[in-house]
Amino acid sequence: MSSPQREGFSIPASISHAALGQVTNKSLGVRYNCAQCAASFSLSKNDAIRCKECGHRVIYKARTRRVVQFEAR
Amino acid sequence: MGVQFNTLEREKRFQNPPKDKSAFPLLADAVLPHIGSFNALTEGPDGGLLNLAVKDIGSKTIFDTKDDTRSGNKLQIRVETVEVSKPLVPANDKLSINRKTLPSECRERMTTYRSKLMLKVTWSVNDGEEVSEIRDAGQLPVMLKTNRCHLEKLSPEELVNKKEESDELGGYFIVNGIEKIIRMLIVQRRNFPMAIIRGSFVNRGRAYSKYGIQIRCVRPDQSSQTNVLHYLNDGNVTFRFSWRKNEYLVPVVMILKALIETNDREIFDNIIGSDTSNSFLTDRLELLLRNYKSYNLYSKQETLAYLGDKFRVVFGVEANVSDVEVGKLVLQRIVLVHLDSNLDKFRLLTFMIRKLYSLVEGQCCPDNPDSVQNQEILLGGFLYGMIIKEKIEEYLQNFKLQVQSDLNRGIAVNFNDRKYISRVFMRINENIGQKLQYFLSTGNLVSQSGLDLQQVSGYTVVAEKINFHRFISHFRMVHRGSFFAELKTTTVRKLLPESWGFLCPVHTPDGSPCGLLNHLAHKCKISTEQSDVSRVPAVLANLGMLPPSTFAAGPNLCCVMLDGKIIGWTSHEQGQILATTLRYLKVEGSPDLPLDMEVGYIPPSAKGQYPGLYLFAGSARMMRPVKYLPLNKQDILGPFEQVYMNIAVTPAEIENNIHSHVEFSPTNILSILANLTPFSDFNQSPRNMYQCQMGKQTMGTPGVALVHRSDNKLYRLQTGQTPIVKAKLYDDYGFDNFPNGMNAVVAVISYTGYDMDDAMIINKSADERGFGYGTVYKVEKVDLSQSRRRGDPITQHFGFGEDEWPESWKEKLDADGLPLIGVQVQEGDPIVAYYDETSGKTKVKTYHSSEPGFIEEVKLLGDDNTDQECQQLTIKFRVTRQPIIGDKFSSRHGQKGVCSRKWPQIDMPFSETGIQPDVIINPHAFPSRMTIGMFVESLAGKAGALHGISQDSTPWKFSEDDTPADFFGEQLRQAGYNYHGNEPMYSGATGEELRADIYIGCVYYQRLRHMVNDKFQVRSTGPVNSLTMQPVKGRKRSGGIRVGEMERDALIGHGTAFLLQDRLLNCSDYTQSPICRSCGSILTTQTSVPRIGTMASVRCRNCSYKLETYVQKFGHVDDSEIWEDGQGRKFIGGEDTTTVAIPFVLKYLDSELSAMGIKMRYNVAAR
Repeated sequence: MSSPQREGFSIPASISHAALGQVTNKSLGVRYNCAQCAASFSLSKNDAIRCKECGHRVIYKARTRRVVQFEAR
Repeated sequence: MGVQFNTLEREKRFQNPPKDKSAFPLLADAVLPHIGSFNALTEGPDGGLLNLAVKDIGSKTIFDTKDDTRSGNKLQIRVETVEVSKPLVPANDKLSINRKTLPSECRERMTTYRSKLMLKVTWSVNDGEEVSEIRDAGQLPVMLKTNRCHLEKLSPEELVNKKEESDELGGYFIVNGIEKIIRMLIVQRRNFPMAIIRGSFVNRGRAYSKYGIQIRCVRPDQSSQTNVLHYLNDGNVTFRFSWRKNEYLVPVVMILKALIETNDREIFDNIIGSDTSNSFLTDRLELLLRNYKSYNLYSKQETLAYLGDKFRVVFGVEANVSDVEVGKLVLQRIVLVHLDSNLDKFRLLTFMIRKLYSLVEGQCCPDNPDSVQNQEILLGGFLYGMIIKEKIEEYLQNFKLQVQSDLNRGIAVNFNDRKYISRVFMRINENIGQKLQYFLSTGNLVSQSGLDLQQVSGYTVVAEKINFHRFISHFRMVHRGSFFAELKTTTVRKLLPESWGFLCPVHTPDGSPCGLLNHLAHKCKISTEQSDVSRVPAVLANLGMLPPSTFAAGPNLCCVMLDGKIIGWTSHEQGQILATTLRYLKVEGSPDLPLDMEVGYIPPSAKGQYPGLYLFAGSARMMRPVKYLPLNKQDILGPFEQVYMNIAVTPAEIENNIHSHVEFSPTNILSILANLTPFSDFNQSPRNMYQCQMGKQTMGTPGVALVHRSDNKLYRLQTGQTPIVKAKLYDDYGFDNFPNGMNAVVAVISYTGYDMDDAMIINKSADERGFGYGTVYKVEKVDLSQSRRRGDPITQHFGFGEDEWPESWKEKLDADGLPLIGVQVQEGDPIVAYYDETSGKTKVKTYHSSEPGFIEEVKLLGDDNTDQECQQLTIKFRVTRQPIIGDKFSSRHGQKGVCSRKWPQIDMPFSETGIQPDVIINPHAFPSRMTIGMFVESLAGKAGALHGISQDSTPWKFSEDDTPADFFGEQLRQAGYNYHGNEPMYSGATGEELRADIYIGCVYYQRLRHMVNDKFQVRSTGPVNSLTMQPVKGRKRSGGIRVGEMERDALIGHGTAFLLQDRLLNCSDYTQSPICRSCGSILTTQTSVPRIGTMASVRCRNCSYKLETYVQKFGHVDDSEIWEDGQGRKFIGGEDTTTVAIPFVLKYLDSELSAMGIKMRYNVAAR
């Protein structure tokens, strides 16, 4: 079987971009919470969606600090 | 009476969920058929059903040559064992600390809760040493709370920690984030030969009669094979079976002779026994045996060889196997597969032939296939196992096909080379899990054999979590099969007395699925494993049963059959004694006799059911507990035996020497939901059916762990209460965890005129206090990877780009391009921004709903294997739904109504104690519907509210002598109220006392999920169909509602011609069209191109001449008469046109007709 895989170095896809040495965008100041361990952290634009503590794949966006006000009628 | 509010306990249970076990064990029992059947796949004797299945499949033989003359090397390959692990994160995931995949994650990420399916494949070359390898067969979706789920046996506290409900039931699958259950299906009772008279049998061929004996034989792995014996008009009997969706007919004597070494005499004796004087029988048997002589097959070997020769191709057997072996394979795979030994098969087959002759002779009646007596339940887990079995067989088949295709292509085939074998594995589709996921998500059965079932689709349904009533009902639902839904006859839908205690008589929908979609009675269980009956024959032999080898046959003796195997014969008198003794012993707790064994004794009768003693202990049977009177202990009954038993409903009606059993409670016949209808014994029965329907459509409490769910749409009642009036079972099933409505003060009065025709008036202040206030949660999934193909680089990123975009987006969106949590969004507002690399622009997705919503949650979902940036997310919107005019409400008695007004409290009538009703309904709602239960509930609720107690509304608690009116009336009297529940009331508007006393009390009200906001449809102008110019249909497209033929008839009947004109023409496709007066056509007119000095005019192209033609004909032309079309061609004439108003479709019709060569001519004249 002729495999398309060639010898040599290939960039691993699973490492986060920081490890790749790319310039990470600065965080946008939005906080996120892990759905599993409730850790709070911020994410930058190209980060993988993994909890920084436990590696969970569901992340909730935290409620905004901005005042949200409606006409309560 | 027995019910309490238990408010504090409930509060405490919510604060600290139990650490040991659920407070509601009945809930777990309710889903046990599903969970038990799934567990049986991997546990139980011989390693579970899957391992039994692979044993049954056996091995496939493959040769490495194409040459027919020599066989070459032999490879025998089989699946040795099957294993299913628990759901785990992929092995290449290095980051996850918690390696378990939990169901809550699957719901949120909209993935499938599945685990690895592993097959241990074993092969040997030329009968040499066996080599095995464990193959990964993909990810198999796993049922929740089974032995392959992480939630199995968790305490409520642990479940809450795992983000589940404290009393999570399980029993369903999660496929792509959607909860799916395999529905239970009613199928024919296994291993029991059923006498059937069916007209369609005649269509099988010439000489076929309507008589037949059908038996559905079930193998130990729960897969089944149906065998039918047909009676031919000449007295012959044919054996029919279907294999891979093809039907085959074999003379029954051939099967008999192939099974054991026998002779005509033995066959004759086994069928006729001592009834040699019955000439009907002897004549037919003589003919049967004589006819068979034409085959010239005498010995077992000859017959087997003949059968093998005929079925070799059908079974795809390799050439190295002898015909006799193939014949044996046919018998093993097809004939009465629930039995191992050929002798047993022979005996049962002769029994079936005799039963067939009895049926034809009229000695016995046909068995009713629509009665639960002859039915069992096909459970989800078993069906799942059957599909897995078939897919494994296909897998081996594909292996063989791959080797054969390698041979054909001339690729070197070397069985001894591991590399070659793994190459073959690589080439075939090993992903069995994928196929099961397809089955679960679509409900379609893709199968070579059809699995002995009558339908190919509709096996799974979504377990909707609209409220808990609906959710729990899914697990108790049994379907008769979609085949019967199309049937014109309604006999299958009939409610039969046999169903007592097994299928609920109340809980079935009205309309097309009525009687086909049933629900199990709440105490009805389904067995999921074979009980141990190995010592039953010995017990029976001790009691005087004769062995099966005795010279016995026919209905004059009592045949003793255990799970479809004849284990002996006895006289009818003795049979009766055997049955009673057996029952006594099993209830007493004999270790040899399982309690759930069904002892079905059918006594001899004139033209009744074929007699015998039939014992059943297999799985998939319906069972229910009943008290056995001689021992005062619990007995487990099945539907087969129940028909011939005397069971008292209440202890009061027990009569000596008649009743052997008594019901534990008469409510055992009702389903869970039907039991919750208060005082349902006072209602007209269809109203109770309606309540079972409406309870499931209520906007209630779907669950508590809503934060961890991502359902498309969830309804939630904000102000749910526990009912004052509730049945005992309400608490036993823990329905207080999921309140479904509110207690309301209801006055039955015709008050404002707004309560006509089932409308109800809601007190405006009650509404403001939160009566019926609800919320709808909608979830929208945004998946940016949808627009690109797999493997392509990411081009769209969540967030804002560097380009210019409106600053107003920032009002709703955060810096990350995702909406701010808690912000209100209106139609057209941005809900998510993303940057598209290819166009270099920032784009937004907008909110599409006319109702404003609030952003409740934003969940970022990680990818399954690669760690790429965010591409998927879900946004949960909260839409507030205050009750408004047009919303639907109902009491628990099938009394639904629509809110017609919110009446100000000051104008509501008030009683002498100053009570003002929350809800007013019209008295006319009662006389024709006869929902007395609602009156009783009102009374009980009022008394309960006054005394601060909870009232028991379990049906059949009261009697003629002890009426609820007296019981609750007395309570009311003690509280200082009118004994009958009605009170003098005063008009809220004038303050005058009303002329009549008003019936006022507390009724539990449900808010139904049908709300005007989801339904209203208005249109003045809007989109039209481009072909006909008529308004489009559909609420979603803001279309109109058709004024159809019947509406038109009504308008004509009323003489409202202008209204008709308005609806049918002016508001539809009114058009003004030019028409040619001289030729009467609307298609040939056109507007001329205006020239300097002249206006554009409408001309008929058909009636005009081309300029050249005209000049040739008439010579001179005045320049002013020439007109020009769009192409610059010049014409003369055709000016006799006018404008008419027509419906636009007329033009369409005209052009369609002209395409057919038909010309339409309109004669227009001025009026």
